[in-house]
Amino acid sequence: MIPRHQRILFWCLFVCIVAMGVFLFLERKRARDRIGSLADATPIDAPYSNTESVTLDLASDADGSVTATTRPIALPDEIAPRARALLEHLVAEYALPGSPHPLQSGAAVDDVFLLPLPVIGHAIDTTAKPTASGGNTTIPVASTDPNALQPQTTGGELAVINLRSSFVNAHPSGVEVESLTLLSMIGTLHANLPQIEQIRFLVDGQQRETLAGHADLLRTYPSHDTTIAATVPDAP
Amino acid sequence: MKPATSALAKSAAILLALASISCPAQNSPAQTSAAPATSPATPTHPAPTPPPTPFNRSVILLDPAHGGLDSGSRISESIVEKDVTLTFAFKLRSLLAARGFSVVMTRDNDAATLPGTPNTPLTLDDRAGIANHAHPVACLLLHATAAGAGVHLYSSELDATPGETFGSPWLTAQAAWVTQSQRLQKNLAQALTRANVPLVLSRASVRPVDSLTCPALVVELAPAGGDNTTLIEGGYQQHVAEVIATALVFWQNQAQPPDRPDSATPTPPVTGAQP
Repeated sequence: MIPRHQRILFWCLFVCIVAMGVFLFLERKRARDRIGSLADATPIDAPYSNTESVTLDLASDADGSVTATTRPIALPDEIAPRARALLEHLVAEYALPGSPHPLQSGAAVDDVFLLPLPVIGHAIDTTAKPTASGGNTTIPVASTDPNALQPQTTGGELAVINLRSSFVNAHPSGVEVESLTLLSMIGTLHANLPQIEQIRFLVDGQQRETLAGHADLLRTYPSHDTTIAATVPDAP
Repeated sequence: MKPATSALAKSAAILLALASISCPAQNSPAQTSAAPATSPATPTHPAPTPPPTPFNRSVILLDPAHGGLDSGSRISESIVEKDVTLTFAFKLRSLLAARGFSVVMTRDNDAATLPGTPNTPLTLDDRAGIANHAHPVACLLLHATAAGAGVHLYSSELDATPGETFGSPWLTAQAAWVTQSQRLQKNLAQALTRANVPLVLSRASVRPVDSLTCPALVVELAPAGGDNTTLIEGGYQQHVAEVIATALVFWQNQAQPPDRPDSATPTPPVTGAQP
């Protein structure tokens, strides 16, 4: 026979366990609702309701190919935010499990700046009076550099992609993987924003020699179709 | 005696003046346009035309990428790219030497330093300078990666120009050689395909390939399969090196120099930026 006080103790503990279980279940539900409400308020995608079919040039490390793929994505109308959103979606594709060109997830592009070509400088207009705020008036000055970037067509633009150092520092190293990342970005911009003629890369606002030790980040890349099929050389 | 001495002095002065006029035309395009600051002094002896062949068909340049503090990519926990490229270069050098080539290497030990100055690290431009001074029939920039499989061959991304120009910019010196580089790429690709080595052919902008004045390729060695340790296995490296060495023997007689302008009528420097 089990003594009475032990039975009372058992049932008391049992009730406590059940009560604790119910309490934890309710707390978990409440916490989940709280986190869910916070997540709902975080802008994942740009606040644009209309999705459109855009072309992403996706790279594959296995055969070194770049293939154009269409995706329905909501994009802003302005060109610079549009270019940035395109590149972010592109990198997000590579961060998915099973990606043929795996890259670390996270924000990759800090900003994209668009400059009309040819790139001109500004000089202080010594003939003009100072502005009301005390500043100087400037006038555009054409570059005297014979190697200055020139547009291929009227309205051509130079896109300066400012990458985040967190993305660049975590990028896999190798000629193929680095070249494919650049080609993929260039091809995606070319397919969706034809007014971009030339592309330069910065990292946290500074010039950097290479992406991860190989692909040149100092040069100006022409915007062009970068889709590459896996190449098989002709028979001799 | 005095009139004879003054006539002699006058003749010498005229000869010196003539020599100073003819000297600028003697510089070959490679020396004037695509040589770094360490280019040799201008020759003083008269040479009526530039050398007909801007490369030596028996010289191959191998550039094992990285070295010293620059380890390159990490292949695995214990393997780094600089070691793989150097090992592969040694294998290739011995095979090429056995086939009668003279091999110039930008580095032959772990440290990448300028010759004679052990504390001065070798820059990418220094590597290009070593290559351009050797006038090789092929320049192979050796890299290694854990991504992909087989061998990746890259030629320069520059647009090809019909021939060499005087004063072509350092960063686009390869433009005149792109056609030859692509032919070399095709030759090596065919040889590797016949040897059943997985292959990726493309174009890439990897410094210093755009500054080289020779048929130049970036050769990136990837694992044979999914196993990264194959990169340091002698058998796989030896197999790829033998295929490349054999292909270079055929290339030796196929390489053609780009057109060169007449030294008497130098063309103005190309002012276009990189494409």
